[in-house]
Amino acid sequence: MGEVIVITSGKGGVGKTTTTANLGIGLSKSGKKTLVIDTDLGLRNLDVVLGLENRIVYNLVDVINGSCRLKQALISDPRYPELYLLPSAQTKDKSAVSPEQMRKLVSELKDNFDFILLDCPAGIEQGFQNAIAGADKAIVVTTPEVSAIRDADRIIGLLEVNGIRNSSLIINRLRIDMVKRGDMMSVEDVTEILAIDLIGVIPDDEQVVIATNQGNPIIGNASKAGTAYENICKRLLGETVPITDFSHTEGLFSKMTHLFKMN
Amino acid sequence: MSVRSVVIAKSRLKNLITADRIHCTPDNIQLMSTEIYQILSKYLEIKPEDFKISYTHTDIYIHYMNDRRKN
Repeated sequence: MGEVIVITSGKGGVGKTTTTANLGIGLSKSGKKTLVIDTDLGLRNLDVVLGLENRIVYNLVDVINGSCRLKQALISDPRYPELYLLPSAQTKDKSAVSPEQMRKLVSELKDNFDFILLDCPAGIEQGFQNAIAGADKAIVVTTPEVSAIRDADRIIGLLEVNGIRNSSLIINRLRIDMVKRGDMMSVEDVTEILAIDLIGVIPDDEQVVIATNQGNPIIGNASKAGTAYENICKRLLGETVPITDFSHTEGLFSKMTHLFKMN
Repeated sequence: MSVRSVVIAKSRLKNLITADRIHCTPDNIQLMSTEIYQILSKYLEIKPEDFKISYTHTDIYIHYMNDRRKN
């Protein structure tokens, strides 16, 4: 039985879709059969971030309406044999699917995958309710900004109300230079306020923009953000990986002592 | 020396989140806090610095930090 994780945030533009795409790829590269579902009806994006936009024939609404069979709508990725995408509809409005229908769909899919990642739309309306309906747990994405953290706190409360209490947090786009000069909240500042488990910290990295331009993943290349996503995948698979402390600009010597400490 | 922006961000955020969590305006939270302190001080030997209220999504905590061993 697979694990169903909703990737959510409240605020838009904090990196939910990028996170869903990269975690999906990372998990599938570890040999886990992974399905990513875009639940943002009317504003489909996950296919573009994955570089699969030209392969779409059917979508989530077609499956729910019974216009196609489930298998026909699942897009496989030629680069990652274990990864599948169920795209959203670009034209339908957000009332085209109900939370009950989503719960049923996800429970049907659960037996066939190791992981199902649900990319949640921004906001706290029906799209959010649809996305969390079938989820076992949540990953809340935020950036170290007042508005994003405030929305994350709302979302954590709403998840609890809906019975999802094991949420974990990703802090995205952290800028160490700004934290150091006292102009950005640190990882500790954010976790103290939100008081949920931290599962990863993604440093601000222009490689993310470049990779997204190309429809390529950031995970798997040697960038800082790519490594951070890899570490989150390992944590999801049950490995204990220490959170990288980006606040130390390390020389080679201190890096080596760290390595020795870990062994 | 000017205040670092992170200090302002944290204080704004703490007020916002407290207000969001219990659906109460920051002004009313302050009033409520003062009133709860007044009630406690009728029965307990308590100083304002020993007293703190915190809020989660589901619980309100009253922290009483007086170190009674000193007495």
